[in-house]
Amino acid sequence: MNPPASLTGLAQSWHCYWFAPETAEQLGLVRVVTYGLLFAIYLPLDDRGWTQVSPVFWMPISAFHILSGPPRNAAMIGVLQILWKVSLFTSAIGFLSRVSMITAAALGFFLLGLPNCFGKIHHLDGFPVLLLGILAVSRCADALSVDRALRSRREMPSNREVRAAPSAQYNWPVRLGQALFLLVFFAAGYAKLRNSGPAWMSASNMRSIWLGELFTHTPPTALGSFLAQSAWLCQFAAVATIVVELSALPALFARRFRVFALVGLFALQTLIALMLGVYFTPHLAGYALFLPWERYYTMLRGYPRRLPDRVSLS
Amino acid sequence: MLPIRFASLTIVGCLAITCFDIATGLEHWPFGSYPMYSVSYTEHLSWLRLYGVTDRGEIPLRGERDFAPFDEARLIMVLQRLQGARGADWKLDEALRNLMRLYNNRNARGWPVSAPLRALRLYAVSWTLRPGLDGSEPPRERMLIAQVTGDEAER
Repeated sequence: MNPPASLTGLAQSWHCYWFAPETAEQLGLVRVVTYGLLFAIYLPLDDRGWTQVSPVFWMPISAFHILSGPPRNAAMIGVLQILWKVSLFTSAIGFLSRVSMITAAALGFFLLGLPNCFGKIHHLDGFPVLLLGILAVSRCADALSVDRALRSRREMPSNREVRAAPSAQYNWPVRLGQALFLLVFFAAGYAKLRNSGPAWMSASNMRSIWLGELFTHTPPTALGSFLAQSAWLCQFAAVATIVVELSALPALFARRFRVFALVGLFALQTLIALMLGVYFTPHLAGYALFLPWERYYTMLRGYPRRLPDRVSLS
Repeated sequence: MLPIRFASLTIVGCLAITCFDIATGLEHWPFGSYPMYSVSYTEHLSWLRLYGVTDRGEIPLRGERDFAPFDEARLIMVLQRLQGARGADWKLDEALRNLMRLYNNRNARGWPVSAPLRALRLYAVSWTLRPGLDGSEPPRERMLIAQVTGDEAER
């Protein structure tokens, strides 16, 4: 018995959305940029200080419940974070790719999750951990990797360049990363309406947030204090925040609208950094997922001079 | 076909947990409901603040600068949670003793030398938020919640 037409249509839409053929080079470039960015952003990370913190502060989250208490061995944490940073670098260049990427994902989960077990979840590092997990199970090292170059040299001594044919395998990891990134913002907008209702969009609420952060955080500018003097600006900012955050959901499906949504979200996070002193730097890896890296790469290398042979690697 | 099936399962799994957290407001890190700044704020700001007692009187202390690896937001949030926990008095005393040791480690790590603390005090502080404030204003109200002395922190 054939499935109903609506189900077939749904399956086709699902397949088109996640599994439209993409080149191995685009995913390879996303790998280089993502791991390179995260390596640069997290290079100063040092979790060894948490070994000095009293167990009274220990409030484990997620899989950290399996630990009996906070880690006590600073030397071990030091070794793990060196290993993690090395694995981010080797993942970026695609050397020992699968081992590197799995190590980067596993240690990223531990090292970025550990501080969240001391009383408060900071929502900066959740998305990068998810992205590391997605890339670790993907075929993102099929192109533009040291592993690929070494394999090609062994298999094709004539030095002829071989490129993988476009495949569904090279599309879904980026698509899923984009979807989860946009849902982060939709979740933030939805949480405001769920917890406070339309009252969140009042001028007085926005003013209190801006002024309160002057006492509870260390904003790099006095912009919050300055803008809080205008009731009209407070009102506009409150409504705009919700509209921009909720726009992330339609941006999942409307390609042209996505550019405006992303620009709005980036502007919002820049203003949050300037006015509230909260820095979402790791989210740069999320914005980078939307850029056409292969086009930049082609322009940079002057392709296509001669179309190389394409073989299917899937 | 197997890789596509695996990919579909991964996609469905990720989306299901994400949507569940968004709908329920729960957190399954690294997934989450991103509830930051989602409550309604009033003109009355209540916060906790740590003050160090030196030979020259009390000085306000900040998370990032004085109690690494804590940052200010995490430190105050965890102190608020301890304040509301069972056995709060004992837990807050132990927390302040540990914070005083972290403060002293800061000096040992070669950071700019700060005045030695004779005691560490935790206050509940509050401000009335009105346009024109710049963050340097002292709190309108201050109430002592807990304190430990240097001798207690050594124990």
